[in-house]
Amino acid sequence: MKVFLIFLMALRSLARNPLRSFFMMLGVTIGIASLTALASVGEATKQETMQRFKRMVGNYNIVNIVPGAARTRGMPSLTTVEPSLTFEDAKALARDASSVAQVAEAQNAFDIDVKYRNKTTAAAIYGISSNWLEMHSYFIETGDVILDDDVNSLARIAVIGPDVQAALFANEDPIGKQLRIANVPFQIKGVLVSRGAGPGGSSMDSIVFIPVTTASKRLFNRNYLTTITLQLKDPDNPQTGIKEISSILRGRHKIVPPIEDDFTVSSPRATAEQVSDVRSTLGTILFGVAAIATIIGGAVIMSLMLIAVSERRGEIGIRRALGATRSDVMMQFLIEAATISFIGGLAGVALGIGGGAIAASQQQLPPVVMWSAILGAMLLSVVLGLVFGLQPAWKAAKIDPIEALRS
Amino acid sequence: MIEVKNIEKTYRRGDGTPVAALKDVSFKIEQGEFVTIRGASGSGKSSLLNILGCLDTPTSGSYLLEGEDVSHYTDTQRSHLRSRRIGFVFQSFNLLPRTTARENVELPALYTGRPVDRDKVLFLLDRVGLGARSQHFTTELSGGEQQRVAIARALMNDPSLLLADEPTGNLDSTAGQSIMELLTELHKEGLTIVLVTHDEETASYAERLLFIRDGVIATDRSQPGKTSTTSNHSERQS
Ligand SMILES: Nc1ncnc2c1ncn2[C@@H]1O[C@H](COP(=O)(O)OP(=O)(O)OP(=O)(O)O)[C@@H](O)[C@H]1O
Ligand SMILES: [Mg+2]
Repeated sequence: MKVFLIFLMALRSLARNPLRSFFMMLGVTIGIASLTALASVGEATKQETMQRFKRMVGNYNIVNIVPGAARTRGMPSLTTVEPSLTFEDAKALARDASSVAQVAEAQNAFDIDVKYRNKTTAAAIYGISSNWLEMHSYFIETGDVILDDDVNSLARIAVIGPDVQAALFANEDPIGKQLRIANVPFQIKGVLVSRGAGPGGSSMDSIVFIPVTTASKRLFNRNYLTTITLQLKDPDNPQTGIKEISSILRGRHKIVPPIEDDFTVSSPRATAEQVSDVRSTLGTILFGVAAIATIIGGAVIMSLMLIAVSERRGEIGIRRALGATRSDVMMQFLIEAATISFIGGLAGVALGIGGGAIAASQQQLPPVVMWSAILGAMLLSVVLGLVFGLQPAWKAAKIDPIEALRS
Repeated sequence: MIEVKNIEKTYRRGDGTPVAALKDVSFKIEQGEFVTIRGASGSGKSSLLNILGCLDTPTSGSYLLEGEDVSHYTDTQRSHLRSRRIGFVFQSFNLLPRTTARENVELPALYTGRPVDRDKVLFLLDRVGLGARSQHFTTELSGGEQQRVAIARALMNDPSLLLADEPTGNLDSTAGQSIMELLTELHKEGLTIVLVTHDEETASYAERLLFIRDGVIATDRSQPGKTSTTSNHSERQS
């Protein structure tokens, strides 16, 4: 009751001095606004990166195995891929790994010439098993997907991405047309739905899918795989699956530690989180500056409050004479400081959300409202007010009422 | 009501030299009395009133307020006493700046921890003749009116003792007279009042006069209160 009444009184006394109150909250407002804006832009950037990554991978519930040890990992191409992953490895995993729901095979290469009549474009070529497209969330726009029959019969059919369609078949229906990939003819069976940009910002639609057997025997003449994709039975806990997969592969490849693995198992979700969590140095510096601004805001409250206490000695004397205890006076000034800081923080959050939304839209990021940051900012502003209000409140409480009333 | 026994108050100057403001002061004040304390400037009037009002403690001696020895009470205990038992009226009114008459009268209620009785606030403002001006800011009121607000404020928590230090000191004689008439009325309704003044005219309203000289009670005598009909003329020399 008393605290509530003192709170109302604090509000009134802040309202009595609007200009001073305004300057008191200004610093906190600016600090909290920049913190909120930076946090929401940071979160928007992270979410956008995660989204792009997911668009590229198609699915977070999978793990990928690529050849080579972790440190040599990179984009596979015809020249740099180690031939350590085999079709037999994929079959063994499908048969023996109890944590695995299904296995997809891929053999790919980048920047391969694809021709139709007199037009040429460069595309990524993916030789895949029939379940690959679905596992990576690729969808068919027109035509049909690659089927088991196509894989078993080494069919020379292709499913093309929309960029390839746009480059080669501007005004034509591509279905059934003959395409040349590195001069080997393929018949177009389907066209994919667009996937947009990947994490690097480049298009993921400049792509051609063919059966993995056809790629191996008729196009690249390689009997190894560039990626094995596995769907785990328990995708939320990929570590158990990754352990089992690794141990099966080590057994097959006769790897005994300390010999290094000749393959790398990775979870796209973990990779995405790692990549998107990287804060830029500039971002960190800005965050530090905003934090310092907020603390300076607290210090501004403290110094203006100290001045106010001196100016209000008479008022304090009156209150003490009328029965206010030292702790009542202390509480009054603490509540005033916390309230003004909280209002400043509230204004800062509003400004920060607005500023963050504008900054995000300029960088074409999705607008993100981070409730945790907002809540944190409000809590921070109250704590700030209490901490920096402590000294003025203590000074007010110590004032001798007799002297205060005499002046 | 009040019993002061052998009270001394010694201040220390900045350089450490002691100043004896009150020396061996003893007296009693009964419930319902209207007492004036007079004396020259620096004689110790305010020092005494601060002790009576529990704003200060005596250096030695005891002070019994309604039978309770409060001379060694802590700051917080004395705050509670001020809140519940004592009403203050000051020379310079001491209303809160930028507040209305009503807000000033409400103020003491805040420190009791009980909800504010709005009706009582308006009743008290009415009682001091300012019923129509409760929403006025203190700066919009004359000195006499401000002092009336201060009196209403002092009465908010039903004190047993009203202390006034030069309540007419900042007022012209007409306003001063009407304030003194108001205090006399309150006294007649049973309020115990102790008032400090320089002014003979102001002092003449009270039934009893304590004259203080150099920190000692020099005279303690009854006098016919100005509007009182029940006073006697006996003298009590100390
Ligand atoms: N806080 C203090 N520190 C040192 N000396 C003080 C203090 N307060 C009062 N005194 C001294 O004590 C004596 C009594 O002061 P007090 O204020 O009680 O006098 P007073 O009778 O109220 O005077 P006035 O009529 O001028 O208000 C004076 O000599 C004064 O200088
Ligand atoms: Mg005085």
